[in-house]
Amino acid sequence: MTWLLLLSACGISSVPKEESPGTGIGGEELWSCDSTGTHAPRQLRLLNRREYQSTVRDLFGLGTGASCSSDTDCNLETESCTAGRCSADPCGTGTFVLPDAGYGSVHVAGAFNGWPGTVAAGGWAMAYDATGDRWWLKAELGEGSWQYKYVLDESTWIADPTNPNQADDGYGGYNSLLTLSCSGGGLDDIAGLDLTAAFPVESRPQHFAFDNNAAAGLVSATLAEAQLDAAEEVAGLAVLELERLTGCNPSDDSCAEAFIRDFGGRAWRRPLTESQVQRLLDLLLGESDRTEGFSLVIQAVLSSPYFVYRSELGVARGDGSYALDAWEQAAAMSYFYWGTMPDAELFSAAAAGDLADSAGIRSEAERLLADPRARGTLATFAQQWLGVEAVLTTQKSEDFPDEVRKAMLAEVGDFYTHVVLDSSGRLPELYTADYTLANPTLAAWYGLETPGSDGVISNGDRAGILGMGAVAATYAHSDQTAPIRRGLFVREALLCQSLGTPPANAASVPTVDPSATTRERFSQHSSDPFCASCHQYIDEVGFGMERLDTVGQWREEENSFPVDASGNINDIEKLGNRMDHPYQSLPELGELLSASERVNACFSVQVMRYALGWDPEEDPLCAFDPQRQVLLENDLDMRQLLLSVPSSNAFRIRE
Amino acid sequence: MPHPFLSTSRRGLLKGLGGLALGAPLFSALRGQAANGQAERVIFFYFPDGVVGPSQNGEASLWHCTGSESNFQLSETLGGLSNHKDRCVFFNGLSMGATDSGSHPGGAKKLLTAADYGNNESIDQYLARTAGWSSPWRHLLLGVQANYNNASGDKHISYPVAGSSLPPQDDPRQAFADIFGSYNHGSVDSGGEAAPSARGKVIGAVKEDLLELRGQLGGVEKDKLDYHVSSLEELENRLGGGGGGGTAASCGDPAIDTSAINDGNLYDAGTFPAILRAQTDLMVLAMECGITRVGTIQCASHTSELLMSRFAGTDFYDPNYDMRSHQASHYGASHNRSSREFSAYLAQRKWWVQQYAYLLDQLASRPEGDGTMLDHSIVVLVTEVCDGNTHLHDNMPFVLAGGASGRIRTGRLLQYSGDRHGNLWVSVGRAMGQDMGYFGDSSSGPLWGLVDG
Repeated sequence: MTWLLLLSACGISSVPKEESPGTGIGGEELWSCDSTGTHAPRQLRLLNRREYQSTVRDLFGLGTGASCSSDTDCNLETESCTAGRCSADPCGTGTFVLPDAGYGSVHVAGAFNGWPGTVAAGGWAMAYDATGDRWWLKAELGEGSWQYKYVLDESTWIADPTNPNQADDGYGGYNSLLTLSCSGGGLDDIAGLDLTAAFPVESRPQHFAFDNNAAAGLVSATLAEAQLDAAEEVAGLAVLELERLTGCNPSDDSCAEAFIRDFGGRAWRRPLTESQVQRLLDLLLGESDRTEGFSLVIQAVLSSPYFVYRSELGVARGDGSYALDAWEQAAAMSYFYWGTMPDAELFSAAAAGDLADSAGIRSEAERLLADPRARGTLATFAQQWLGVEAVLTTQKSEDFPDEVRKAMLAEVGDFYTHVVLDSSGRLPELYTADYTLANPTLAAWYGLETPGSDGVISNGDRAGILGMGAVAATYAHSDQTAPIRRGLFVREALLCQSLGTPPANAASVPTVDPSATTRERFSQHSSDPFCASCHQYIDEVGFGMERLDTVGQWREEENSFPVDASGNINDIEKLGNRMDHPYQSLPELGELLSASERVNACFSVQVMRYALGWDPEEDPLCAFDPQRQVLLENDLDMRQLLLSVPSSNAFRIRE
Repeated sequence: MPHPFLSTSRRGLLKGLGGLALGAPLFSALRGQAANGQAERVIFFYFPDGVVGPSQNGEASLWHCTGSESNFQLSETLGGLSNHKDRCVFFNGLSMGATDSGSHPGGAKKLLTAADYGNNESIDQYLARTAGWSSPWRHLLLGVQANYNNASGDKHISYPVAGSSLPPQDDPRQAFADIFGSYNHGSVDSGGEAAPSARGKVIGAVKEDLLELRGQLGGVEKDKLDYHVSSLEELENRLGGGGGGGTAASCGDPAIDTSAINDGNLYDAGTFPAILRAQTDLMVLAMECGITRVGTIQCASHTSELLMSRFAGTDFYDPNYDMRSHQASHYGASHNRSSREFSAYLAQRKWWVQQYAYLLDQLASRPEGDGTMLDHSIVVLVTEVCDGNTHLHDNMPFVLAGGASGRIRTGRLLQYSGDRHGNLWVSVGRAMGQDMGYFGDSSSGPLWGLVDG
């Protein structure tokens, strides 16, 4: 059987185009494009669950709203750092702060955790904040009166010297007394609401990894009702503090109108038209009870299509195309970088016309990406791009604790964010890093050293994202590794190569057999020429991850046989090139990927899919080639690509 | 811990629904709402990964029945339907067409849309907005681990607009709360007049915004906005009409058993049978109470990683060996009963049939009119491919049950030669009172000989 037949059996054309599109790794020919560049369609983008939750929080957020990366950056007594922003603590949050006096450790002991004398026995360890020279801890205690003491160096018990409220401890001393009440409630409690619990999950079209696909964002009756319920819950709290919310006397009609213009404008991310103001004002003034009027307006604003959809419709440019207007541009940017509504500064930039040209857009983009609020969004992008959210639910035969699963998902987000913002920013580092970011639980699971406070540890031979537990476990079966799924993960998520659907009568996964390695059991794929037509591209890639078992732990042996993690990632740049790239280990596989042009192109595609909530009909590698060029011109710096997105034609100009 | 709606709030629910039934101008006669000679309701029951059909080596199907229209034998896989044989119609020779034949996702996209690539509204959504338009819930879309591991859109079978599917509600506790809990928005809550009118006013304002926005767009995103408006109108119906008017005792005291289900095990394979049972009970309850006429139950999703070997109490239960639905479906070229995959696959498929039979049992045990609910229903069993190994889209293994209020003569085996399954959906739509000529991109009319009149 000839190669040509084998390739066509896999649906791959091996006939090269006449014009050579250039070469990539090892002189491999690149894919070719008839044209490059594209424009996203005019569309409405439904807020997904995380965007909805963050937007409502920010809309009512009456914390200082300052940027932060830790709770200690905020007003610690009353605020927490949520998604890079200081916001008011929900009711029931206990905050413990103790000025340092040379302690080695401090923990909190109380009725809520059984008065433990040590951290090992269940004491809540406080963290040391060098800037404030203090120890601190926040905990969700819930409503009630709570007695507690601090335990210094696990030996000396003291009452909280900063808390005047005390109760007899029964031993001739005093416990400190913390009383938390959630009754009454108000604006500060909105941030703590779980508003989207009843929202349906987002639908993600085939081959679209992200939760923000515009076409799939539909308001079913179930979602419409959940949105109305959420708005009602929010309004119920907001009207408890109308004067604080409006900053004026809510019984004055002028106050009502000013509120509608301000609140409505921020919620709808653009100034309201006069007729919109009038409609909402009529709704408000139509109620004999002013509080009820405000409640209706808040609910109507939050349930409106102008709130639940982000407009990316644009303004006609006269040539059949449309350009996002300043308000649309501002919102598109804030949701791309932050996953939430624009802040006051970005709104001001839009109002001042600063977003009308590339320089102004660039300047805001730099501010947004540098803000800590970008971190959560970067982490989410990475987790969705790599498809690893499934690590939280994927069923395993072995014990696979929830805290390890969560730590693995966090690792992917933390590592990616670290590379982009705190390290080189270069794409190859994702595949070649000899370190990772893990919490102590995950480090122990991996059998690695205990991480320091920054979480950075040597990762053994795990080679960046390729060896992450979340990748290994997501792309594995319950009872055996899955070289096919892992190989397809590399081809599809990292290289944007599609191998089509498997043949109808493909054999099943080989039966688990304790007398052989997984690799041996999959040997049929290379010995049967029909299978090999596709599996030549899959298995030999997945084998590179064979040292990672089904739950992300390292193994040198399988069933007492040494694991062979060598392989061949052929045709990296273009399927059908018939070029081999053998490797001996996972780090070598990472090196090959990091040197590939295709990896750069595919990363650009994934970023643009996320940014636009859309996948072009034409070859996305060609459609988003301008973004690959940005990477190439900037030494593969992902930050430069991310900063270029909002001023790109694909983003700003719609058809 | 039991779900709040099933324990502490029981009394509140009872009050809510009972009161709603009293003042229900629009829906008071819902259980008899369908015009004479129309099916009262339709349920689509989906399971993943096909059946033991004709093998690659040419062995006969273990799913399809043999015999004449009125004198035929149930196949081995369908034995679980023996009690309902005379209330069912079995099909041979229905085709979903050649496009993507051999593919799970391709089949799932065509299944209810009858259109290549899912480029059409699906039949359940079509009937929801036509036959079901005046029901408090136009459609009940329930899943059982259908969103496991963030299943992508091609894994879901219900399409409200062409090309975009909806994820089902996988949590029967939430679904129950949505249906029987939120009904307190009606006019009977002790709060009096303010609460219901507030929700109505908000919806009115939102609809104004939607119409304004749609007017500015000149057709862009029209489907999306139309669907949004339709969703709000469904909510308005609920407010205006209140309860479903069901008179069965269970409607006054609605309950389903979710005691085995919690947040931590909602996606554990071992919980699957309990969730499916709860969702099935909820579907029957909602229909019995006149809350909806159109339902879809989606069990898992195609190419399913569902570890069916963890279903305790089944004859394919094997705690020491993991057997997934999709893994078993690739059983090989022949029906080899000594093969681990094949024997598991066949047993799994029989189990799906038993779950379908349970749904029929429930409908058949509830009196309605001159017969039972099943006599007035259409319940269709579907999956996205025929044989799980060959993956072909021919000879689709569908079963239809229920008398459709007399429109469908049951107890028959119907033979076709490649007639498109879109025709089946036309027939189902006609039995539901819709004047349909064709459906999807391939049908030519109703399925010959299925629906009378």
